[in-house]
Parts: sequence; C-alpha cells; structure tokens
Amino acid sequence: MKNYKHYRLIILFCLCFLAVANVNAQSDWQLTAKENESLSPFLFDDDMILEGKISYENSCTSCHGMPGQADYTPMAPSPGDPASDQFQLQSDGALFHKIKTGRGTMPKFEDVFADDETWNLVAFIRSFNENYKQPVPDLGGIEIPEYSMKLAFDENIDKLVVKVFAKELPQSDVSVSAFVKGSFGKYLIGKAQTDELGIAYVDVDPTLPGDAEGKLDIMVKVTKGYGLAKMNANMIMAKPTVRKSAIEGRHIWSNDKNAPIWLKVSFFITIFGVWLVLFFIVIGLRGINKANKEEE
Amino acid sequence: MNDTITKENLNDDQIDQDLLKNVNWGNKFKLWLAFLSVSLIICLYFYYQQLQHGLGVTGLHDYVSWGIYISNFVFFVATSLIGMLISSVLGLMNVHWVKPLARIAELVAVAFAIVAGLIIITDMGRPDRLLNVFMHGRVQSPIVWDIAVIVTYVAISVLLLYIPLLPDIALCRDKLKNVPKWQQKMYKILALGWSGKTRQFKIMNNYTRILLILIIPIALSIHTVTSWLFAMTLRSGWDSPIFGPYFVSGAFVAGCAAVIITMFFFQRNFKLQKYITTDHFDRMGKLLVLVALVYVYFNINEIIVPGYKANTADAKHVDEMLYGHESLMFWLVQLGGLVIPFLLILFKPMRKPLPLTLISIVVLAGAWFKRVLIVVPTQLSPYYPIQNVPEKWNHYSPTVPEIAITLASFILVLIIMTVLAKLFPVISIWEVKEEMNHNKELA
Ligand code: HEC
Repeated sequence: MKNYKHYRLIILFCLCFLAVANVNAQSDWQLTAKENESLSPFLFDDDMILEGKISYENSCTSCHGMPGQADYTPMAPSPGDPASDQFQLQSDGALFHKIKTGRGTMPKFEDVFADDETWNLVAFIRSFNENYKQPVPDLGGIEIPEYSMKLAFDENIDKLVVKVFAKELPQSDVSVSAFVKGSFGKYLIGKAQTDELGIAYVDVDPTLPGDAEGKLDIMVKVTKGYGLAKMNANMIMAKPTVRKSAIEGRHIWSNDKNAPIWLKVSFFITIFGVWLVLFFIVIGLRGINKANKEEE
Repeated sequence: MNDTITKENLNDDQIDQDLLKNVNWGNKFKLWLAFLSVSLIICLYFYYQQLQHGLGVTGLHDYVSWGIYISNFVFFVATSLIGMLISSVLGLMNVHWVKPLARIAELVAVAFAIVAGLIIITDMGRPDRLLNVFMHGRVQSPIVWDIAVIVTYVAISVLLLYIPLLPDIALCRDKLKNVPKWQQKMYKILALGWSGKTRQFKIMNNYTRILLILIIPIALSIHTVTSWLFAMTLRSGWDSPIFGPYFVSGAFVAGCAAVIITMFFFQRNFKLQKYITTDHFDRMGKLLVLVALVYVYFNINEIIVPGYKANTADAKHVDEMLYGHESLMFWLVQLGGLVIPFLLILFKPMRKPLPLTLISIVVLAGAWFKRVLIVVPTQLSPYYPIQNVPEKWNHYSPTVPEIAITLASFILVLIIMTVLAKLFPVISIWEVKEEMNHNKELA
C-alpha cells in the first residue's frame, strides 16, 4: 500500500511537469531585438524563391503543408500555414532565426541549411505575400551598384574568366558563381571572388559533357551586398559530346529492327525449323493413300 | 507384360464394339451439349459487354492489369502440358500402361491449348488490334515468343492427336454405317485412304515418333516462356531464375489432375471399365504423387530463398504470402491443394477411381488459385509504392463479367472435348488390340 501511494505522487508530479511544459511551449517565441531586426543580405529574386521552394518541399511540407492551403499537420503547438498572418506578420529576421533554432517539434535547421539557403526559404515564404516589400537596411546614401560583366573561357587553363564592371569600372571583391543550366535545375560549376582588376577565375571541369561543339548553357551570377547581376551565355567550354539515343545499337531493349542478331537467328530458326518439319509431315501424309496403290 | 488391361479374353470384334460405342449422338449427349451451349451463350453476353465498354467492366486497373484472365491463361497452358508428359515422355520410354491414356491426354492438351490462345484475346481491351501483335511485335518480347510457341504447340498437338488416330478413323469409316452422311464423309476424307498396310503403319509410326520428340522441347518452352512473361519483369515475387522449371513442374500437377478427371468421366460414361481400369487410376495417382513432390520442392525453394534474406522486396512479398494479406489463400492452396492431397494419395485406397477423382478436382482447383497467387499479389506491391490513386486501386477483385468470361473458357474446353469424344474413339483401338495380343502371346 505504501508503494502505491508513492506511485500516485510520481504520476502527479509528472502531470504537473507536462502541464508546465505545455504552457511553456505555447508561450510566445521570444527572440532578441537584434535577431528580430536582422535583414537578408540578398535581394529576394525568382532564383532564390525557386531554390527555397525545393528546400521547403523537401524539409517542411511534412508539417507545414503547402503554403496557402492550410494543410499543415494538426499538432500542438500548431505549425501553422506559412502563408498566414501568423508567419507573414513577423519580421524577416524572426522567420530566419526561428528556422535556424527551432523549438519543440519544430526542428532546428541551423546545421541543415547554410545562411543563404535559409534566406531562400524566407524568400519562398514571402512569395505568398503580395503586400510584402523587402526591407533593405539604411545604406547611408550609398547607391546599390548596377553590375555588368564580360565572360571568356581560357582553354589553356580551363578557367571561366569573369570580368565585373559597374559604370564601366572594374569591381573588386565581388562574389561570382557560375552554373550549368540543365533540364532540371542548375549545376554549380564553381565560385570565386574578383581581384583588383575586377577579374574572377572559375575552375571548369574539362570533362563536363557539352553539346556537339562543346558548348554549355551557363548562368553567371555576381553579387556584392545588395548589388546583383546575372548573365546567361552559351559558350564553348566543355568536351564535345555526340549524344546517343539510349536505344541505339542492337539491344534487348531496342526496337524490333535493332534486336540482337543472336536472338533473331535463334528465334526464327527454331520456329521456322519446327514448322518446316510439320509442313513435311503434312505433305508426307499423302504417302498413306499412295501406299494403297503401290501394293496393289 | 502389360497388366493394367483386363485379363478377360476379348476378341477384336468385342473390342471394336466396346470402344466405338461412344461414337454416337445419343440424347444424353444432346442434352449435355445444349446445356453447355446455353451456358456459353450466357457467358458470351458478358463478353459482348466487355467488347462494348472495354476492360472497364472488369476489376482490372492501372496497377493490376493482369487479373484472373491471365491467371487463367497460365492455368490453361499449364494443364495442356500433360499431353507431352504422358504421350511423349512416357510413350517414348515404352511405358505400356499409358497407351490407352495417351489419346485422352492429347485431347486435354489440344482443348486447353486452343482455349488458352483465346483467353489472351479476352484480356485485350482492343481485340481488333490483335494483328498488330504479329505485325509490330518485337522479337525481344517474351509475349511474341509465347504466341509463337503456343501456336506451334497447338499445331503439333493436333497432329499428334490426328496421326495415331488414322487406323481408328478408318475403322469408324468401315464399321459405323448408321451415323449421319456428313460424318461418314468426314471419316472418309480424314482416313486418308487408310487400309492397314504395313507401309502405312510405317509412315504413321515414323511421323508419330518425330512429333513425339519434337513436342518435348516445344512443350517445355511454352510453359517456360509463359513463366518468362513474369520472370523477365523486374518485380518482387516474379524476378526469379527458377520460374521456368517451377512452372513446368506445376503444370504436370494440374495436367495429371485434369487427365484423371477426364479418365473418370469417360470410364463411367462410356462404360470403359475394361480398358481404363482401376489399375490405371492407381498408376496415375502414383504419377501425381511424383509430380506433386517435384512441385513441392520448387515451392519450398521459391519461398525459402527470398524469405531468408529478410529485408528485400522479395522477402516482403514472401511475408505477405505466409502471414499477410494473401496468407489465407496461400495456405489453402499449398496445404489444401497440394500437400494434403499428396499425402492422401500415398495411401492405396485413395487411389481408387472415385476418391482419386475427387482429390484431383481439389488439386485442379488449387492449381487454378495458385496461378492467381502468382499473378496478382506482385502487381499490388510495386517497388514504387501505390499512392495518390483511387482507393480501389489498392485491391483487386474480379467482377461478374470477368468471372463469367473465365467460366466461358472452361465451358469451351468441355465442348471441344465432348464433341471430339463423340466423333472419335477416346481410346486407341488398334493399340489396345496390339497390347492384348501381345499379352496373349506372353501368357
Ligand atoms: C516536424 C514538423 C516540422 C517541420 C519538419 C518543420 N516545422 Fe516549422 N514548425 C513546426 C511546429 C510544431 C512549429 C510551432 C512551434 C512552436 O510554436 O513551438 C513550427 C514553427 C515554425 C515557424 C515559426 C512560426 C511561428 O508561428 O512563429 C517557422 C518560421 C517555421 N516553423 C518554419 C519552418 C520551415 C521553413 C521548415 C522547413 C525547413 C519547417 N518549419 C519545418 C513543425 C515543423
């Protein structure tokens, strides 16, 4: 009996703990002022939204559902719909840090996504808010530069040479990233920074398969602060590749004309061979009638 | 010495009379045929529905596109294989007792093989495009191989039924004077002027021998190729290198059972007790034990090898069979349709005609459901899970039209067999005479 009392105490204690924990979970999600005010170092553009969408679909839909559809998983506390006011009334910094740190069932994504990838997610969440205007920090009168660039490929050292200008002056310390455009997204070739001459060298893997002339469809993106420029190009910079149809040549999986010879031969010889024998037997049956006359 | 045939001293006339007795159009037969025809017409009405509305009237869907039609097809091909085992393998080995059974086995083979071809057509949503299979088929496709060998098998089986029948057709031509005119004419044409000359026997024996040899690889390949339709597809439960022999051994089980049932039916109806003796049933029972044993062996392999490798897709398939969704049917088929019958037939009293026939019916039914177990469950567990589809696509159950059309195939087999059995003697008269005379000489 004594033991039994003991248990009751323990259960009571546990219940109290759970209640407190629950209240705690539903309390406001406090962030520091600095965290709340932090802003994206990138301007949200279609590329960021697209990349954010891919990350979101991989890591968030299971709980938050598709934004705008209110099809999040019912649990307490509720994850909520990212298109709703619950999310959209928060600052960019708040969303950013909440994704990074997580709380309770909301996982911590700090180790999953790099900062720029987390900002992609914020950009994606914001794309469901028509009234959203991205806040940009006070730049103290500095204009956001408009970049332009020139591209060349140096085949001796297999490097993509990117020269970045603003108002026709070479720009140093600009981040350059180059991508190959594929059917299902982009493939990063490499990243580099421009030097004092405004030139960045991006290593290119010379074994990349190009088209018949060795051309690749590439996209180069240059960023520095809020300055951003992109350029598409089609340049000779990879191995010329003649693309073969997957069913070319004689294969089991090819069309009838291209069936393997051994198969055709063995199939037709067998079938026609057997039918030939049958044919001879049927013809030969006439011998039965003939036998009558022969012996007469 | 062949001791399965009766010890009674029968003279040739008596034998002729006994064995030609079934060639007539009695009222009993007419009634039976009328019953079959009416049932067939009812079933064909459902096929007409299917022609009009397409395969939508069946329970087939995107995931289970091979349902009981294809299971039934596999079953029919399997059953037809027995012709090869009995008339060819045992015949060539000079096993005397099977001689009176050879024609029955060929009858079963021809009827089932012909209808198997028709079943394939019922599985086509657009049978009017059948010719495309021949015109645009790829020689790489097991389906094309299957069509080729089945057509060949039907041709050989028909010849193998026909050629040894020549002396008996001639007998019908000479003895049966009170049959309709067209029938007499038919015997006359089909007998090819047979008059029992030694040279004629020589031709017949030669050709029969060639065909008996030829049919062995062809019969093996029809069922091996049928198994390849499955085994050459990368699906859990089908992707198995032993499928060929596994199917062939299963085929002999179904075929033996079918022959035993037919034997019983002929023996009782045509009063052939002197020719199809209790001893014949006893030996067919033993043959059934033998082939069932081989089949059980393959079944064990089929289950234990993938089942041992715990976590593969094939192992999950085995799990479904042993304990899961399919387990009821699986155990009924394995125990009820194979193991228990097999154990029962080990006892001599169970090999008497009636018990053996009843057991054979159970075995045959088990063999049919076994084919469903091979064909359907695999399609319900594809490697890429079934999702975002209508709920009913997670299951398969045949609809009334589907069942009726399947029944039609059985009715058609019965019609073919009864009509043939009414046109020709079901036991080779000249061979029986030969055996009896041989026995007399030895005695
Ligand atoms: C395992 C389920 C789960 C996953 C996966 C998940 N979340 Fe959450 N998320 C939650 C829950 C539950 C909350 C509410 C947490 C709370 O209030 O304590 C939440 C809250 C949030 C909040 C804060 C909302 C608010 O009201 O303050 C943001 C922002 C957020 N999630 C973004 C994301 C993003 C972006 C991802 C994908 C990278 C993600 N979540 C993945 C369950 C999840």
